[in-house]
Amino acid sequence: MPFNPTRRSLLTALGAAPLVLRIKGAFAAAGFPEKTVNLVIWSGAGGALDTYGRQLAELLTKEAGWTVAVQNRPGGSGAVGVSTVLAQAPDGYNLLVCTGTLTFGIAQGLIPFKLEDLRYVRAMQAEPSSVAVRADSPLKTLDDFVTYMRDNPNKLRVGGHAPAGFHQFILFQLGKMGKFESGWIPHDASGKVPLSLLGGHMDVAIMTPSSGLSQVESGEVRLLGITTEERSHFFPKVPTFKEQGYDIVDSIWRGVAVHGKTPDDIVARIQEAIDKVEASRDWLDFQNREKQENINLGEKAFTQLVNRQLANQTEFLKSVGLVK
Amino acid sequence: MQVLVDTLAVLFSLSGLLSVIAGAAIGIVVGALPGLGPSIGVSLLIPFTYSMSPENSMLLLISLYMAAEYGGSISAILLSTPGTAAAAATTIDGFAMTQKGLGNKALAISLSASTVGGLIGGVALLFLAMPLSKLALQFGPASYFAVGLFGLTSVAALSGGSLVKGLIGAALGLLLAFVGIDPIAGMPRFTFGRIELFEGIPMLAVLIGLFAVSESFLLAESAGKTRGGVSKGAVRAVYLTLKEWKELFRTMVSGSVIGTFLGILPGVGGNIACWVARDYAMRRNPKLAFGEGEPHGIAAPEASNNATVGGAMVPLLALGVPGSPTTAVIVGALVLHGLRPGPQLFAEQPVLVYTILLGLLLACVVMFLIASVSLPWMSRVINLPDSVLAAGILIFAILGAYSLRNLAFDVWLTVGFGVLGYLMKKLSFPVAPVVLALVLGYLVETNFRTALVTSRGSYGIFFTDPVSAVFLALSLASILYPMWRSRRDKRIKAA
Repeated sequence: MPFNPTRRSLLTALGAAPLVLRIKGAFAAAGFPEKTVNLVIWSGAGGALDTYGRQLAELLTKEAGWTVAVQNRPGGSGAVGVSTVLAQAPDGYNLLVCTGTLTFGIAQGLIPFKLEDLRYVRAMQAEPSSVAVRADSPLKTLDDFVTYMRDNPNKLRVGGHAPAGFHQFILFQLGKMGKFESGWIPHDASGKVPLSLLGGHMDVAIMTPSSGLSQVESGEVRLLGITTEERSHFFPKVPTFKEQGYDIVDSIWRGVAVHGKTPDDIVARIQEAIDKVEASRDWLDFQNREKQENINLGEKAFTQLVNRQLANQTEFLKSVGLVK
Repeated sequence: MQVLVDTLAVLFSLSGLLSVIAGAAIGIVVGALPGLGPSIGVSLLIPFTYSMSPENSMLLLISLYMAAEYGGSISAILLSTPGTAAAAATTIDGFAMTQKGLGNKALAISLSASTVGGLIGGVALLFLAMPLSKLALQFGPASYFAVGLFGLTSVAALSGGSLVKGLIGAALGLLLAFVGIDPIAGMPRFTFGRIELFEGIPMLAVLIGLFAVSESFLLAESAGKTRGGVSKGAVRAVYLTLKEWKELFRTMVSGSVIGTFLGILPGVGGNIACWVARDYAMRRNPKLAFGEGEPHGIAAPEASNNATVGGAMVPLLALGVPGSPTTAVIVGALVLHGLRPGPQLFAEQPVLVYTILLGLLLACVVMFLIASVSLPWMSRVINLPDSVLAAGILIFAILGAYSLRNLAFDVWLTVGFGVLGYLMKKLSFPVAPVVLALVLGYLVETNFRTALVTSRGSYGIFFTDPVSAVFLALSLASILYPMWRSRRDKRIKAA
């Protein structure tokens, strides 16, 4: 029988294959990531969360050498995005890019998952809400808005991103203090909110200022109030809710979560990569350009934050009768 | 003037041209592969733009976007497998032509129509970005609903012989569109508790199943009977004759206008434009045999989906808000270079803006040249025997289904839709109405309900909103006119 090098090396390779696989399994975390990491953004394309997610994807590639694919999975107050990540194996290859509306969805039972189904890796941005009107609106202050809403029930069309999320929560709180009730027009992408406002399909938008930054800066959209503790250094001319007599101070985080069963060593690798992003000049420039607070909360602080928010929001939703 | 000179210097520099050529070549491939589309293609290339100048990276990405909208038609025509959702309408007449041995011609029509569409969309962007963006702002939820409803009226035209069968197909499509999480209330519905269905039934699984998998079953079935159906047509020219240009040019232009217009509306885009354009072509040419390999049935959708590229760039450049998933990814690339899209970009970075505007036109030309060279090779597929073709389509389809979300669930879903499509074709139920209704279902439902929330339950909003009123009237006319015409024809016959 003639010597057949092909067959021989093939047999050797076959014999060694299980060994290679086993070794790879044991050191999976050391080599993470070995393939493309999916960044699942739970909102539609365009808008603040989407911009953040894509910047993160680019910096993870640039600073940490990852290969990253971005997917938009909008719908259902974020439940679609959560389900996308939970449908995949808990191997750290699917990162959920989400926002503070997560806890609302869970509190209302709109997101059919538990807080523990996810691990909260890092909160990276925070941004306030604001009350926005078109430049030609007669409303000039928060008081104008509240008084008008009280005296003319259901006259103004108010809306923003997502049903029963952070912005609607701000409106509820404002309504409770100002004694008015309001409907809510949900949008499936935050980028559509300023368009809807500019086109006259809504009268008032409750939105993060960055959703319509071009329009806010050009003066086409006017902000009546902002939910920061003190005046934001990004928008120094916009008065806070607090200084106008409505004590609502809140901001929405944006961050990264993974499947709740992801092992510690993989999460540690993700943390290292995000550390590199946080430390980069590009990231800080981006935060300033997009007018975002850099909160940088690690897993422990982030988990505490979401637990606290869930408790507060559940209590609030119960008190207004939205949840029994 | 200096801006124009600088822009041309960028476009026709070696690196600029190479960016366009690379973008167009990759775009054609990405478009032709089912499961990969323009938005995934652009996001895959973003990492390579890190070290490029903003101008060159934009050239690369917009060329890819443009070429991918075209590339989807290649697999649609040759393999009955729409490479992108926007190529779905092309499949019907495209594959029918291939089966007649005219695959070559179908590819030539698609290439020319795509180029014309891309150029018209690009010219509209160049000269009309500001007024078109004002127009886009006029569209509220009621108007989006009416546009969607108008699109649904083309079910009649897609039904082939039997309107009843078409309506049954459309009802099935709407039913499928309801699966997933409710867009207004956020509660899951019709998901049978399957987490894979929370996002709704993936569009491409339905498309690939109904069009491609079912076709491979049919081919496998007939392959045994018609042995050696090899070499059905020589692989020759990829250019249209002057006569064909004259014949098809009007359809290409009308398709392009429809595509440009629907492209500027966020959330509408090529997936819907292709059907509307095909429907319009059918109404304009009632005598032609659409569905049986009619060149107009390729020219219209292919012109329209490429025209949406220019359209989708309108809100991006004029308002700073992306009009399609792909332009949203392009925003990411701009932000990376420290730039923010929007009207201020015209003042701050005029050369970049004009590079995008003129680059889009250059991309069309380069796409045409690259495809002209490569099509004779690609179209050798039509010389394969049916049995090989059937197996090839099936492999191609399953790969595409899996690469959607990397879920085996999607593969089974696609096979399931393949069986459904096979049964439908056997019972001569048209499959296109299912796809059309699924594409439009989300748009129609979400905006119908949002409009009612806006108006606090009053249906008046659909009539007081001028855009909505116009499209509702058009929908009514498009239902009534064929009825009136057929009654008139009967009366004439009787007389």
